[in-house]
Amino acid sequence: MFVSKTMTRKVITISPDADLFEAQDRMAKNNIRHLPVVIEDNKLVGIVTDRDIRSTMPSSLFKELECTLEEKDSVCQLKVKDIMTPDPMSISLLDTIQDAMLLIQGERIGALPVVDEDGKLKGIISIRDLLRAFINVMGIEEPGTLLGILVEEKVGELKKIVDIIVGEGISLGSVLVAKYWEEGKRAVFPYLFAMNVNPVKEKLKTMGYELLDPLQWYIDKLPEMDDPE
Amino acid sequence: MKKTGLLYDERYLNHNTGLYHPETPDRLRVIYKGLTEAGLLPKLKLIPARPAEMKWVESVHDKAYIKRFRELSLSGERTFDYPDNQICTETFDTAILAVGGILDAVRLVMTGDVDNAFCAVRPPGHHAEYDKAMGFCYFGNVAIAVRYLMSEWDIKQVGIIDFDVHHGNGTQHVFEEEASVFYYSIHEHPSFAFPGTGRVFEKGVGLGTGFTRNYPVLPGQGDKEYEKIFETDLLPMFDQFKPEVIIVSTGFDAHMDDAISGIKVSTEGFTWIMQRIMELADKYSNGRLVSVLEGGYSLTRLPELAANHVKTLLNDSL
Repeated sequence: MFVSKTMTRKVITISPDADLFEAQDRMAKNNIRHLPVVIEDNKLVGIVTDRDIRSTMPSSLFKELECTLEEKDSVCQLKVKDIMTPDPMSISLLDTIQDAMLLIQGERIGALPVVDEDGKLKGIISIRDLLRAFINVMGIEEPGTLLGILVEEKVGELKKIVDIIVGEGISLGSVLVAKYWEEGKRAVFPYLFAMNVNPVKEKLKTMGYELLDPLQWYIDKLPEMDDPE
Repeated sequence: MKKTGLLYDERYLNHNTGLYHPETPDRLRVIYKGLTEAGLLPKLKLIPARPAEMKWVESVHDKAYIKRFRELSLSGERTFDYPDNQICTETFDTAILAVGGILDAVRLVMTGDVDNAFCAVRPPGHHAEYDKAMGFCYFGNVAIAVRYLMSEWDIKQVGIIDFDVHHGNGTQHVFEEEASVFYYSIHEHPSFAFPGTGRVFEKGVGLGTGFTRNYPVLPGQGDKEYEKIFETDLLPMFDQFKPEVIIVSTGFDAHMDDAISGIKVSTEGFTWIMQRIMELADKYSNGRLVSVLEGGYSLTRLPELAANHVKTLLNDSL
């Protein structure tokens, strides 16, 4: 679960003295939105995002409009170091994916540079890296069927469910457990590597479990949230 | 009335999936019984099964996979990779007979001996991948039929309509890079059903972009949703594509009484769907249509569903 295992290692970086067109070009070519800014020894000094650049550049719609040479010149003169976020928030190699998720979510940012104890850039972890990890955890890139089961919040429920699945000889791609809006209940989502899941469903029902109505499934929804109408 | 072929053979019952498996020989037994009791058999040209030439199977599948399947089947092993795929010593031969019978049905449609055909085969095929058995399927029956049409009969534009309740991942993957085969699938939304593919953004790859169309349906939906899909999306898209031949992956498992899915199409809904597909075939394909059985597990509903399906193919009054 260390960031070092999930981060992108081959980081595309930029120098603080590069101009904005070069930074923009580098992001476009690599289809990325964040460039860590590094100096000699790969030391991290800042981060520049595509939004930083876009908010500095005149809109492309104005390309053909009158624009004084001085104005053009002023944009051309700008360097990455003029618009970057200096000393950006970063994360260390031994921090975990969970740390990265909470930090990215809490700070509302898109990516975190990963640095060693000397402040040297070792990688970058972005929302996309975390999504990839979550897709892997869900197991949904392999064919299977997702079930939704409502259970009492007490010890041993998950074991019973897993035993039923294993008893049918079916492998599990993942089991997600989510909060449910009813007090004392949890929603369990096993992802089964099988098309024939009816025997499992029948056994669950026989043992008194309530299967969730697929249209009420959620993996992330706040309780008592009204539908936007 | 049209001339309709029926591919059926008792040897298709030999693929034994054991107890408690929905894809049982009884499915074909009740389908045949349904056709018999509806008095349809005398109106049909019966097509017997025959083994497929291996070159056609190899046009879609890895040779090493075919070999592994044969060996595993003959060994007496009961499971092929996933517990879904129950096999017996007859499974490999039955799968070869299914492919061969379908190719013969296609041939008879192309020679004009029949206008169209219903292939009541087992095992089904649309989940089978290049080198993997999946979801009760071993060989891509429909995909192989399309390859045969293209190389043996020089057909340039084939339309595949797959209304089995599950996405036909195998068929899609064979043709997703090609613009000459239009694969259209309607199925239960992959977040709620096997196999987890067939999302709306899967639209083909490279030159094939735009020639794969997936229309996921949410659990609980039924006839109305299917009517909307056909009228606003499927029919207009086929009006553009103009297939020379239409192959249908016919699954009856979207029926409201079929326990495998949450989709609720009625018996009448299935007839409506097939009537629209027949009109398409008449409009663009000179009536040439081959329907190949995929899923459908409600033993009480299959007789009427199959009988109505065949009546629609015959253009007989319901």
